[in-house]
Amino acid sequence: MEAIMTASDDQANQVPDLEESTAPMMVAPTGTWPDIGIIAAAHQPGIDPCDVACDAMPGHVVGDLTPPEMAWLLDHTSDCSYCANMLNGYERVDDALERLIPPASQAAPPPLPFLPSTRRASYRTIESPVGPLLVAATEAGVCEIGFARSESEAEFRGRLVARGLTPVPDLDEATVATGGQAIAQLREYFEGRRNRFDVPLDFAGVTPFTRAVLDATAEIPFGHLSTYRDIATRIGKPGATRAVGNALGRNPIPVIIPCHRVVRSGGSLGGYTGGIQIKERLLALEGAALVTA
Amino acid sequence: MTNAMAAEAALAGATCAYSTLDPATAPAATSFEAVLARYQGEIYRYTIHLTRNRTDADDLYQETLLKAYRAFDRLDGAANHRAWLYRIATNTFLSDRRKRGREAGLDEATEQALTAAPDDHAAGLDARDLLREVESFVAALPVKQRVALILRKHHELGYAEIAATLKCSEAAARANVHEALRKLRQSFGDRL
Repeated sequence: MEAIMTASDDQANQVPDLEESTAPMMVAPTGTWPDIGIIAAAHQPGIDPCDVACDAMPGHVVGDLTPPEMAWLLDHTSDCSYCANMLNGYERVDDALERLIPPASQAAPPPLPFLPSTRRASYRTIESPVGPLLVAATEAGVCEIGFARSESEAEFRGRLVARGLTPVPDLDEATVATGGQAIAQLREYFEGRRNRFDVPLDFAGVTPFTRAVLDATAEIPFGHLSTYRDIATRIGKPGATRAVGNALGRNPIPVIIPCHRVVRSGGSLGGYTGGIQIKERLLALEGAALVTA
Repeated sequence: MTNAMAAEAALAGATCAYSTLDPATAPAATSFEAVLARYQGEIYRYTIHLTRNRTDADDLYQETLLKAYRAFDRLDGAANHRAWLYRIATNTFLSDRRKRGREAGLDEATEQALTAAPDDHAAGLDARDLLREVESFVAALPVKQRVALILRKHHELGYAEIAATLKCSEAAARANVHEALRKLRQSFGDRL
């Protein structure tokens, strides 16, 4: 253990120089083994695998390691209580950093910049068994759906503005095709005559992570359930369960992107943008069994 | 492959049961409005992460977009618009900070005090206070470490993009992220 502490202290003394240094790095940075990878590094003579493991841990929590490297690290920590404790510390820090991201409900829409915006999103209110729905479409596809029972029209327009769109009441010539088709399919869905949507969607302004979550969610079939953890695993980020929940909280196109089919691992429903009653109602409408394995 | 690259690759190859925005009919990537529509949400969140207050974030965001708008026509058509916007926002933030001649957030002395906070004191804090302390600690990190950590952890940028943003090598970008995490673990690993 003595050797590890000494190595760590040396590294701590080296790295702060990076801060104001503009010169290119002349040596491999501490914490990484870019030339040979951590597995080969750990097997070099005279190298303590614990040093390599501890160096690799920051990279582990921000997704820098390859799958074999990750497997090696987890294997090593399962045998070494010192490293296991260290890894635990990094994972707790990572979890705290995740929690520092404000939840979707508190995420502020960007202010309208003083720049010309030419893309229009027109919207119409339709009746549904879960209350009035606000459905907005651009010429490219459906871009936002809102539940009018839990969101005012002004708030809904704010979401469109936040996506860089100019809100326009009622469908116009440019959007009647995309918006009209979506409204027709939504009506069929609520009448029990449709179990799959086939309409163009406009994801402009949606972040890549949220987009990946939405795409994975879109694949859950009618009447089936998935969990936040399943979605996180499916997009290749098994640790990002909470981030998946946040991303689904920002689902711009509920009902069509079926985030109501995503529940907690324990089988409880989890949250829903429009309110939990709407989630229950949609699942009941689909005949989904509210018990997960 | 980095997370960001993996995410891009996943998006490129995503098969979705639903028709999504068709690249053929999608707004041309060469329109500033299209670039803005796509990235404004995350860029605004980034300005909030950097400034830690809404008023400063609104100013930084507006200034970033204006600079981007003015420079857009001179930009190479094949440019990575996302990384380019992050770079403008970061440079604007760093240059404002230099002009003001002070750290946004806590100073080094406070960082020392936070690091040295005894464990028994921590035991009395509830989780919310501790999280607030983590937030302050991140804000007090050397600015390159803080920016690199935010870009990697909260915005999933690759190290090449972070390096270009911070005008350093990829190795230095990575080392800054790792060092920030190492300091966080040293201060909070046993307390969280």
